[in-house]
Amino acid sequence: MEKNMLEIRHLSASFFTQKGEVKAVNDVCIEVPKGKIVGIVGESGCGKSMTVRACMGLLKYPGRVVGGEAWLDGKEILSLPEKEKCAIRGDEIAMVFQDPMTSLNPVVRVGKQVTEALRLHRNMPAAEARREAVAMFEAVGIPEAKKRLSSYPHQLSGGLRQRVMIAMAMICHPKVLIADEPTTALDVTVEAQILRLMKKLCSDGTSVLIISHNLGVIAQLCDYVYVMYAGRIVEQADTFTLFEEPLHPYTRGLLSSVSSLRRGGDKLDTIPGVVPNLLHLPAGCSFSLRCERCEEKCRECLPDLMDVGDGHKVRCHFAGRGEKA
Amino acid sequence: MKQNIIKRLLQAVFVLLGVALLIFIMLRIVPGNPIATMMGEHADPATIERMTAEFGLDQPAIVQFARYLSGAVRGDFGTSYSLGRPVAALMRQAFGNTLKLAFLAALFAWILGITCGIIAAVKKNGLLDRLFMGLSLLGVSMPVFMVAMLLQYVFAFHLHWLPISGVDGLKSFILPAIALGWNSAGSVSRLVRSTLIEILQEDYIDTARAKGNRQMGVLLRHALRNAMLPVVTMMAIQISSLLSGAVITETIFSINGIGQLAVQAINGRDIPLLQGTALFSTAIVIIGNLLADCLYSVLDPRIRKEA
Repeated sequence: MEKNMLEIRHLSASFFTQKGEVKAVNDVCIEVPKGKIVGIVGESGCGKSMTVRACMGLLKYPGRVVGGEAWLDGKEILSLPEKEKCAIRGDEIAMVFQDPMTSLNPVVRVGKQVTEALRLHRNMPAAEARREAVAMFEAVGIPEAKKRLSSYPHQLSGGLRQRVMIAMAMICHPKVLIADEPTTALDVTVEAQILRLMKKLCSDGTSVLIISHNLGVIAQLCDYVYVMYAGRIVEQADTFTLFEEPLHPYTRGLLSSVSSLRRGGDKLDTIPGVVPNLLHLPAGCSFSLRCERCEEKCRECLPDLMDVGDGHKVRCHFAGRGEKA
Repeated sequence: MKQNIIKRLLQAVFVLLGVALLIFIMLRIVPGNPIATMMGEHADPATIERMTAEFGLDQPAIVQFARYLSGAVRGDFGTSYSLGRPVAALMRQAFGNTLKLAFLAALFAWILGITCGIIAAVKKNGLLDRLFMGLSLLGVSMPVFMVAMLLQYVFAFHLHWLPISGVDGLKSFILPAIALGWNSAGSVSRLVRSTLIEILQEDYIDTARAKGNRQMGVLLRHALRNAMLPVVTMMAIQISSLLSGAVITETIFSINGIGQLAVQAINGRDIPLLQGTALFSTAIVIIGNLLADCLYSVLDPRIRKEA
């Protein structure tokens, strides 16, 4: 296997509220090999965004990293002082956010916003930075790149704005690009373009960690997938295995609740119940409350993330014994 | 953009005309003869009549209004009844003092208000936040005469650091400027704080941080310009009210400015002086708002019309 560009080890992060500690991310390990696209999938509030934000050092108050490490190309970054984190952010590790409508500063020309990272990290003169920006705009498929530099965000469409966001994140050629639901706010045709663009970036050597709740996006794009539920990784495998042979009941539930023209039928499958309250997680498996196969053991004891072969890991008591949950 | 400004200028002319008419009507429907008031109880009726004719007050209202307007356009607001000097000259002289006072007060209020607002927002719920917001509550709730007298008592009467009243060099403007700006400082700091806290939650602030900006860079390059939009509006309103004469402050500190001139005019039923000062204040407010609009579109590209 390739060397890991980003390695998250046993990361835990919580919100400290007046009601108590909300454990949003719980002992999460994720590996992003060089030049690969790795996906995190899960429903809203399962801790996907919080995991990557913690890596970037962008947790919002009252969120805080409680434990764990994040290694970026052989260097631990969570324990770095803020000044050094700033030096890495936007240079070696960059991020694309969910909503391009609100993620660009409305009163600053996009050219200035895109070249900002170059000036911060490379100390590049303005003219040279502009040339770089034009090249990057062309690389992400923004027409009339030169002219667009002096546009304001409100003069651009959603798809163009997300391209600007990607250009902005890629301008320093980061080792790792984190994309937090990069296509959720876009319509489907634009989504396909953006996904193609991300795939192209990856073939240029950048490692990508992408978050999505859209299984279609994950299937199309990722080499390897992590499934998160209630702050924990419940299953991880290469994309093909995960979609062909899902082992965790939650993953299976997720996959069967995707509508498909091929499958037919008139009613969409859903997973019964609701996500557990992160303030009071069950003692055993977090999914036990909604799981059809739940037994006494599941309620009492948290299953380990077991390797069932070929890097396929499942957090379920019934997995890995020849039987499928 | 240019078209917009021209449109606003034209509107401003009509507003000024309307206000001039209103002032004119209001001063005419007040009962009693201003000349009689001016001459005192025992004045000779013949003299009153002669004076009334001299000031043109025996003419029909429409003629008086036309004279007043054509004069005003040429910068001639007539002669003050009570002071016997041209109103324009009196206002020019008084405006110097008002300008100094307003400028210093605004400088004090904005530097203090914006700085405290930013610190309070960044250190939200911290000790400095509480301290500044407590002070700014005093700022917005203490009446100007109270602040003025307290300042006079402490810094002039007890400590003898600064003159207690009158106009004698720039240092005599320091206490009045603080008294006058105190209130504005309070409201500006509160507005800056609340807007900035809101802005710091925006997604583009995360983007700025993700790019590797440090806190100072995030604040200066990304947050402040957005946060200033509502603050600029407030500042425009403040500067126009400061410039159009601070009646109470000027009176307490005996500063011969536009505000004091207006008080004199009212007390003496001095119609030309009152018309002059009122029209002047209106013009200042209109110009202030116009400037705010222009500044607003400089700060926020979304407001600019597509060229």
